[in-house]
Amino acid sequence: MASPVADRQVRISKIAGRYLVFDIDDVVHIRRQHGICSVFTGTMPQNATQNVLLGLPVELYAEEARLLVDKKAAYIADESADHLTQLKTMDETARREYIASLKSQRRNAQLVFADAKARSLAKHADKRKPSPRDQVSKDGPAIGSGLDDKKTSIIDGAGGDTLFDSRPVSKPVPKTVTVEAMPAITPTTSNALIRPNPSSVAALELPSSDLLLAYLNARGYFITPGLRFGGDYSVYPGDPFRFHAHYLANSYGWDEEIPMLDLLTSGRLGTAVKKSYLFGAARNDQKAAGGPNVSADGDKGGDEDVRVFCVEWAAM
Amino acid sequence: MSRSDHMDALTQVVVNNLANQHDWTGIAVHTQAGLPRPLLYGLPPKRLYVHPDEQIETIKAEKDRPDRIRQLPEQEWVLPLHLSEKWSPARFAQVFDAIHPVPPGRDPVTDEDDDDTAGSGGDRDAPWKLWRGPKRGKRLLLATVQDDSTVAYYWIHDGLVKPRQN
Repeated sequence: MASPVADRQVRISKIAGRYLVFDIDDVVHIRRQHGICSVFTGTMPQNATQNVLLGLPVELYAEEARLLVDKKAAYIADESADHLTQLKTMDETARREYIASLKSQRRNAQLVFADAKARSLAKHADKRKPSPRDQVSKDGPAIGSGLDDKKTSIIDGAGGDTLFDSRPVSKPVPKTVTVEAMPAITPTTSNALIRPNPSSVAALELPSSDLLLAYLNARGYFITPGLRFGGDYSVYPGDPFRFHAHYLANSYGWDEEIPMLDLLTSGRLGTAVKKSYLFGAARNDQKAAGGPNVSADGDKGGDEDVRVFCVEWAAM
Repeated sequence: MSRSDHMDALTQVVVNNLANQHDWTGIAVHTQAGLPRPLLYGLPPKRLYVHPDEQIETIKAEKDRPDRIRQLPEQEWVLPLHLSEKWSPARFAQVFDAIHPVPPGRDPVTDEDDDDTAGSGGDRDAPWKLWRGPKRGKRLLLATVQDDSTVAYYWIHDGLVKPRQN
């Protein structure tokens, strides 16, 4: 969108208690600028079991949503309420703008389709000659191949006169375009419909912030869910596309008693998958200090109070 | 009273295990104000931990030397624990805050320094050497004792320490 990178406000949609991001530009933005990659959760309705390559939306941890809001990089919108109110209060100009934006999206889609079709036709131009339609025209007087092409196009166009009036561009493209209507599209976001409404943030109940997550994020670490490796988080030293995870991490309370067996099994497991087992806690436990105090301190204040420890097998 | 008896017994199990099963030398009990329990330190027969960055420095340094750099053992801290215990992050932080990264016993490198630096002209501040002194992070061996007197050893580092390349 037009807004500069720095103060881009990412819309996090809260739907049924989940924090989702639907806009691909937002997803790119939080990954590049804020080190949050999260998890793609969208699948195809027709093939819901195809879950190797998932798409939009991205689902954030509640703590990640909180982190982004604390950084003033995002706002959380309660989608079901927001959509209803905004649709009800929509005035005539907004409605017209939305329809215009839909049309422009359809036009774009049309251009893309036409372009793709033209390219594929050009690619298979040599294979096209012996197609059945060409053979029909060959039933007439035998002519050279160049003339032959011209003849077929005239025969194709004979059905409707509007064809050549409207678009005398390249041969194959106009035919598909005018015969089929503009393609129907399903917009991936309702950005054009919804005005950003940051005031809804205050009304929403925010999740408690995880200071360990903020601590790692501030140091440039990326986090993905850690269940595959046996922890709360997998911690990467950079984008997971480029690095293997360094740590599997668990977050504890400052005075939470951890059974030694948990530390040993996690340490052993981490070593088995060539990682270090990281556990950490924030000194000013939110339960003791109270949520609002912690957020008022901001990220920097809480950051100093996080202690982390790494456990590895000693090979003895 | 019974608590300190238990702690003494636990410490003794670990001392015996280190000395007799793992051939450690110079094992000593370390008590200090601020420590929730006595720690141990001693010298293992071979070097137990090499930080991945130190490994890189060593390989770099070895390119300019005719011989390999000897990896002499380092003194290590040991924290005796029983498997049934539960420790909070606060207690681990208390232990790490109390200790110095390098245990107080004698270090074989400073003793054999002349021998080790003969080739490279006594470069005390070579990057690969700093890891035994100023750049060494705080680390402990968690010596976890089971009721059958099995002792399992795990490293615990203070702060973010990346895993070793093994």
